[in-house]
Amino acid sequence: MASQLSELLWAEKYRPRSLDEIVNQEEVVRRLKKFVEERNMPHLLFVGPPGTGKTTAAHALAHDLFGENYMQYMLELNASDERGIDTIRTKVKEFARSRTPPNVPFKIVLLDEADNMTADAQQALRRLMEMYTATTRFILIANYPSKIIEPIQSRCAVFRFTPLKKEDVIARLKWICEQEGCSYTEEGLETIYEVSEGDMRRAINILQAAAAIGRVTPETVYKVVGLAHPQEVREMIKLALDGRFTEARNKLRQLMINYGLSGTDVIKQIHREIFSSELKLPEDVRVMIADYAGEIQFRLVEGADDEIQLNAFLAWLALLGRKLRGVTR
Amino acid sequence: MAGERLPWIIKYRPKRIEEVVDQEQAKRLFIPWLRQWLSGRPPEKKAVLLYGPAGVGKTSLVEAAAREFKLELIEMNASDFRRKEDIERIARVAATQSSLFGRRKIILLDEVDGISGTADRGGLDAILELISVTKHPVVMTANDPWDQKLKPLRDASLMIPFNRLSERDVLTVLKRICAAEGVRCEDEALKLIASRSEGDLRSAINDLQAVAEGYGEVTSSLVRALIVSRDREYSPWEMLRNLFMSRYAWQAKKAVTHTNLDYDTVLEWINENIPVQYTDPEDVWRAYEALSRADIYLGRIRRTLAWDLLSYVFDLAGPGVALARRKSKFHWAKYQYPQKILMLAKTREAREVREALAEALAKRLHTSKATVKSDVLPYLSIIFRYRPELGARIALAYNLTERMVQYLAGPAAAEVLEHLKALREGAERPARAAAQPPATQRAPAARASAAQRRGRTTSTTATSRRRRRGGTASGQRTLF
Repeated sequence: MASQLSELLWAEKYRPRSLDEIVNQEEVVRRLKKFVEERNMPHLLFVGPPGTGKTTAAHALAHDLFGENYMQYMLELNASDERGIDTIRTKVKEFARSRTPPNVPFKIVLLDEADNMTADAQQALRRLMEMYTATTRFILIANYPSKIIEPIQSRCAVFRFTPLKKEDVIARLKWICEQEGCSYTEEGLETIYEVSEGDMRRAINILQAAAAIGRVTPETVYKVVGLAHPQEVREMIKLALDGRFTEARNKLRQLMINYGLSGTDVIKQIHREIFSSELKLPEDVRVMIADYAGEIQFRLVEGADDEIQLNAFLAWLALLGRKLRGVTR
Repeated sequence: MAGERLPWIIKYRPKRIEEVVDQEQAKRLFIPWLRQWLSGRPPEKKAVLLYGPAGVGKTSLVEAAAREFKLELIEMNASDFRRKEDIERIARVAATQSSLFGRRKIILLDEVDGISGTADRGGLDAILELISVTKHPVVMTANDPWDQKLKPLRDASLMIPFNRLSERDVLTVLKRICAAEGVRCEDEALKLIASRSEGDLRSAINDLQAVAEGYGEVTSSLVRALIVSRDREYSPWEMLRNLFMSRYAWQAKKAVTHTNLDYDTVLEWINENIPVQYTDPEDVWRAYEALSRADIYLGRIRRTLAWDLLSYVFDLAGPGVALARRKSKFHWAKYQYPQKILMLAKTREAREVREALAEALAKRLHTSKATVKSDVLPYLSIIFRYRPELGARIALAYNLTERMVQYLAGPAAAEVLEHLKALREGAERPARAAAQPPATQRAPAARASAAQRRGRTTSTTATSRRRRRGGTASGQRTLF
């Protein structure tokens, strides 16, 4: 493997490997280190906003418990990607049968984005946790603790991950810049913190892209953020508001063809655009549009057809646009 | 009996014009047009296009007229239109004036809507040519004449509509045939056949014959058992036409339920053609609102298998869409094929690549595919487009395929692939592998070599920046 020639994504390259490397979430880390010392732990539930180090902490914990090759004693699942509780059950069952680690009396099942599971699936998960509790510990990860059912919460030690402090994020970004030898300005890094809303992973992704374009300044950062969201979405919204429904519909089709986007991807992008200053809209109208976008997204989640629903949305925008022009005239 | 087992639809074909059931309006248009031909002064439109649902007497009227006016019927069917020579052969006949004593002719081109627009382009032209040179009346028939490709034929023809027959008309004919055949027929049974036929006399006669010949009598229980709903099926164009012309809810509902298309397809055709038919934004919106509700019900059915909800799908896709028209004027619209199927094929590849990328990266970044798609791919794409050589090194690290590189790099793909090729060749050179210790992908090792990489990175950066300034407005579009 020619890794001296290859280049990793910084989000992977600079992910802390052990608990010692994690510089924030001190309280959480202190308690996790105790588990390592005692070589025992209960089931764990990590909750907190995205990009605050939950997954990283789980891996670091496993690393410190099992050593460098910890992945053979950890089953990593992502509830958003697994097809239903049945596949999770099968995988856990198989994993539970596999070899146990030499010095630790259990293995770890890491279930990320557990709050994406339905309440029924979580009930099944709870039974699964009980069934294998002798040999296996679960680490569940969720953004919202309230979306995890009570019986699971009560079986887990809950760890709250707090949003990262600005100075922590910036210090980390600065450190990465120094490792990579890329040039930056203080304001550039601050801008990354602003646009990434305290999400470390996103901050690092933006940093890497900005550094690829040039010096990391507020300008390059904004450029990167702008480029990440294609202009076509905004153009489509504008066309619809102008009453040019058929053209807006063609734009929609191009978007879906060129980028391979699903309807949900598109509506999320639309939602992002609604509050952008590039669209000249009365503020209360933005809220109306957001409300309807939410309705459309819900319909899509329910299994409705991408194109029909988005066309309905564009038709509604066209009508809205006409009413707005009527008002301003 | 065995000798004369003719299909009844042939046996009982009308011999004279007045025997053709109903279609008074069509006769009022057709007969004078034909008489004008026979009077020696060809009418302005040398062809007529008889259109209407199947089995209502279009061909029968032509045949009866030929017989009554003693014309030689020269007939040609849809399958023949494919061969240009055949049409030209008929055209030669058509262009020849009959001799004084020879029989006059009438030319019938049956089911011209069976001609396909692109494949039979030559055929269509040949027909137009035939019409322009003919010395004899040309009659065409079609179920759906509104297809875009038939426009030249419509323009060249007198358009003559045929209606669905009433149940009572169908019933009268059935009774007459029963009497002629001496078959015992229950009135109820005949009514049942007539009502199921929905004005398609041909199918009604076929049904009658099927039961009568099989059982020697026609009872309602036999009819019920044998004539399982042969539902009248509308083509997509007919479905849309009927739908958008509906003035009552029941008409609209019938339009969407009486078609051989499956539910998704019905919705797709409507989805495609709402803005084609409706011009007022408010009508468009109302129609889409109804259609989207229909779509939601369909989604619910799919998830719960509660098929009794299907009726609501039709309520909204039919009457909901049809009655959305308040301001748009009705007009003859050229309906379009749904683009959905086309789209799916085109988007499938992009989707698959995106999915594969997400899958590959999600494992390495310990996150979900959804997060990779929304939070990683957009930025990765920027790197690939703006810094092809850096993109190549990332592609190497994650073992990305050529398609993945193309997806990420867009216009810069060729450049990235070129770098990637060079990198791979360099990596295989053993001298190089020996010179530098194989670093693992773990961070400590990577970090250890970071300083050493730094020097090289900055130098390549400089060159690539120069190139970028010279080269690309290409990186402007990126994905998310």
